[in-house]
Amino acid sequence: MEYMPNFQLHRPATAKEAVKLRSDNSAAQYVAGGTDLIVNVRRGIEQPENLIDLSAIAELKLINEDKDGLHIGAGVTLKEVARNKKIVSKYQAVAEAAAAVAGIIHQQYGTLGGNLCLDTRCLYYNQSEWWRQSNDYCLKERGDTCHVASGGKQCFAAFSGDVAPALLVFQAEVDLIGLKGPRRIPLAKLYQNDGMDHLTLKAGELLTAVHLPKVLAGCPSRYEKTRIRGSIDFPLAGAAVRLKMKGKKVEDFAIALTGVNPYPQIVKGTDEYVGNAFDDESLDKLRDSVRKQAKPMKTTTVAPWYRRRVIGAVARRLTEELAG
Amino acid sequence: MNEIKPTKSIGVPTPLVDGPEKVSGKAQYSADFMPSDYLVGRIFRSPVSHAEIINVDISAAQALPGVKAVITGDETDETFGILPVARFEYPLARDKVRYKGEPVACVAAVDVETAQKAVDLIKFKYKELPAYFTSQEAMAEGAVNIHDHRECNIEREVDYDLGEVDEGFEAADLVMEETFNCAEVAQSQMEPHAAIAEYDPTRDFMTIHASTQVPYYGHLMLAKVLKMEESQIRMIKPFVGGGFGCRTECLNVELICALVARAAGGTVRIVISREETFITHRGRPETDVEMKIGLTKDGVITAVDFKVIQRGGAFSGYGIVTILYAGGMVFGLYDLPAVRYKGLRVLTNTPPCGAMRGHGVTNVRYAFESLLEKMANKLSIDPIEIRRRNLLLGPKYETLNEMFINSYGLPECLDWVEKASNWKKRKGKMGSYKGIGIACGHYPSGASKPVNWSGEPHATVHLKLDWDGSITLLTGAPEIGQGSTTMATQCAAEVLGLDISRFQSLTSDSKFTPKDNGSYSSRVTYMVGNASIDAAINLKNILIDAAAKKLEAKPENIECLGEVYRAGTQDEGLTFNEVVKAALEGTGTITVKGNFDTLPESWGTKKYRGGAISGSMAYAYAAQVVEVSIDPDTFEITVDKVWAAQDVGKALNPLSVEGQIEGSVWMGMGQAISESTQFVNGLGITNSMLDYKVPTIIESPSIKVGIIESVDPHGPFGAKEAGETSLVCFIPALTNAIYDALGVRPLDLPVTPDRLMELVENSTTNKEAAE
Repeated sequence: MEYMPNFQLHRPATAKEAVKLRSDNSAAQYVAGGTDLIVNVRRGIEQPENLIDLSAIAELKLINEDKDGLHIGAGVTLKEVARNKKIVSKYQAVAEAAAAVAGIIHQQYGTLGGNLCLDTRCLYYNQSEWWRQSNDYCLKERGDTCHVASGGKQCFAAFSGDVAPALLVFQAEVDLIGLKGPRRIPLAKLYQNDGMDHLTLKAGELLTAVHLPKVLAGCPSRYEKTRIRGSIDFPLAGAAVRLKMKGKKVEDFAIALTGVNPYPQIVKGTDEYVGNAFDDESLDKLRDSVRKQAKPMKTTTVAPWYRRRVIGAVARRLTEELAG
Repeated sequence: MNEIKPTKSIGVPTPLVDGPEKVSGKAQYSADFMPSDYLVGRIFRSPVSHAEIINVDISAAQALPGVKAVITGDETDETFGILPVARFEYPLARDKVRYKGEPVACVAAVDVETAQKAVDLIKFKYKELPAYFTSQEAMAEGAVNIHDHRECNIEREVDYDLGEVDEGFEAADLVMEETFNCAEVAQSQMEPHAAIAEYDPTRDFMTIHASTQVPYYGHLMLAKVLKMEESQIRMIKPFVGGGFGCRTECLNVELICALVARAAGGTVRIVISREETFITHRGRPETDVEMKIGLTKDGVITAVDFKVIQRGGAFSGYGIVTILYAGGMVFGLYDLPAVRYKGLRVLTNTPPCGAMRGHGVTNVRYAFESLLEKMANKLSIDPIEIRRRNLLLGPKYETLNEMFINSYGLPECLDWVEKASNWKKRKGKMGSYKGIGIACGHYPSGASKPVNWSGEPHATVHLKLDWDGSITLLTGAPEIGQGSTTMATQCAAEVLGLDISRFQSLTSDSKFTPKDNGSYSSRVTYMVGNASIDAAINLKNILIDAAAKKLEAKPENIECLGEVYRAGTQDEGLTFNEVVKAALEGTGTITVKGNFDTLPESWGTKKYRGGAISGSMAYAYAAQVVEVSIDPDTFEITVDKVWAAQDVGKALNPLSVEGQIEGSVWMGMGQAISESTQFVNGLGITNSMLDYKVPTIIESPSIKVGIIESVDPHGPFGAKEAGETSLVCFIPALTNAIYDALGVRPLDLPVTPDRLMELVENSTTNKEAAE
């Protein structure tokens, strides 16, 4: 780890104040836990003059339930998301995903909002300043070449948050607040397929809460990630599956992936299975379809072909398990 | 009256004597020394793999306010290195740079921001040369020599033929060969490298604290590169957060720190990052092993022929020793009637390798135990049985390379793991995707010939006795977390029959403690333990003489019971404190000395050049059974259980012996399933604890330790090596277990899930690959 550079730390008490601080200060960034951002700051990937620490904002730490569903503040820690009884019982995949993030100590500091807004990752990007300089930087940061796909003008850095796919299968929405006020969008709209700029947030906008719809509460769901070690590691590939059966037949079915694209991705074509029962043939078809849609690139030390194969196998396994 | 007995220390599970400081956070590691006026040192490192240096322009860096010194390769023209025959590394590069990250310049400044700014102002002009990142590239025809005096980039070629090898293969009923590749691995010890050097210009005196396993060698190298008298340098090793061999030679960090401190005329602290610690490296080289074994139909070994290529990196380090160990240590585990070996240590444009735990032995043993198992399967002989059929013919057995073996607990290790793992009922019957495997290994208890032959004893311990009956043990042996100070204290306490609470210790400070070669090659328990016993015997004799005088008896009639010295059972005797007073009267506090030297019979063979390497006073033996399960979808490997039996001669401190064996298993597991240093164009891409995959506690299996005590006749109370042997066995035991589970045999390390998936998929399309 490199040394910590100097910066001005701000600690606003409200979300509104945070947004104002961000717009008033140059080179400012939000820090929502810091387990990832601080590493990047020490590596010189981020060089903020101002860091706006969100940990003192009480309104971001609430979990409420009402007639519309469950509302989780963006400042709720991943540990709390993993253990909250309502989340565990009604949105199991979300709790499993939070429990799968890095290690237990990271979960104590890392927050839901931080995990959703996690920067994309790449072997050629998440390195020290000396390293990146010696490698002529890269497309994502100060350079003009992509080392993953040489000659390419697109950045393939992979989205590596665990919680997003679990929220996506539950059709979650997110609240954002900017200088012009708040807005609510589907979580899926928060992301776009660009490793350099994967968040659709407008300048200075802050994610404040996540909403999980009541209609899907209690729907069976699972999340599983593949990684080399059972702790610490980001997902090489991760899949969330939500599956509601009616007798032997599929009633409602959604899959979302992480770690295999620059954005967390909802698998297309799950509707095709609705009304049918699963058998080996259809499960194999599902596996192959997931493999086709996942597009992992050489952004980790583990070969892309393995991540593609394994994401299909994991999605198939979880589906089979939930189908009972 | 209760019977008075000497206090027992040996064989008693004893918490480490330096434990309280560590668990309370009071222990001071090198990075913790921060005097008020220290300067921050930062190193400018080469961005290229291989280049001629044209110019290092430091003028702008020097001109930056707050910068106190900037040094380059011009600062010293003295080389350093562990082996006198291969000492050609400069603390800061001079003529050429030879790997990405090699130190080129160093800045000392008032704070870290200024130091970094100055580093950024250094202009490095160079002419790039072709760079070689694999052994094959470096040895290819027409490759440029990385070092002028090493033709074809071969650091050392070892070649020998002992016994009748060709005849052995002719006599064999089954001959098989296989090629293995073991990835380069790093120690990833807890504490990154750090040094703090305080230079006093008035007295021209240097005091240095550094995270090292070899403060004495460090002291020698500091004197050499600084061109100062040894007496003008005080080398202190404070608490050290692990070593595993990466600090077994003096590192550039401590040398650069001292050089820049002198240039700045003050105190400089350098704490390098985890990435820089990976770049400093000295880990286990990437190794290719071609192994060929001949067996009779009964599974008896008739001949062995093997070739080893090690990608050594840009400098030699311990390289010559590593390639010699790789050959020499094939002997001594089983009865081998004929062996041919060819070893090549290659220079490449990657960070220099070193002497990692299981030094030189691990990768060859992996290849040997894997192939032996494969052949056992072919002959339908149980894997434990085939090993029994090749045991040495007893502890007095002399190997072809003249190893000095006086204790041999391998048969008992095999018995223990066979019974404990319920082997006979479970081997081959574990069900799908589950398996068990076995392998054996051995390791020396210190090299009998030191790398720097000076005529000094191998180990020296001082015991200082004070008026209040307290004893201070002074040793140069570097405690790096392995428990050496506790061990040395226990040995002295046992001889004197005293509780270890009477002892305190002072270690590794060149102004106070006797010289010691360092903590490496598992030498400390054997050598320093014996020296401690010798010192305690000398002290005891003084105390007996004093007691005899006081009790008006003959010394030979004095009975030492630890806290009481008496002349016969009817005598009330003197308390220890009374004896101490009697001994110290008129002379004051006493410091006695104890030494240990190896026997010439243990100095290895003269049959080939470098035959001294692998010569040791004793060898530890181990057998291990590993149980594994594989995820059928992702091919993730879970190590469920390990039974590790090791013949340690005698467990002086069973608590730390058990810890050492568990640690060995765990470290072997890392190399087996997940660890490897990887490079892109010579730039390390796994230089962080996130990308270099050391297993976590979640991966840690249940480990059952079986301590076997063969009681070595020359070891301290019979003790031998305890900290490396069990690492060696884990890797082949794991791949043998994978074969049991899946019917495919991994050849390349680490066995990551993607490799295993590929292997299984290939084997279903190509049955040949599955053996």
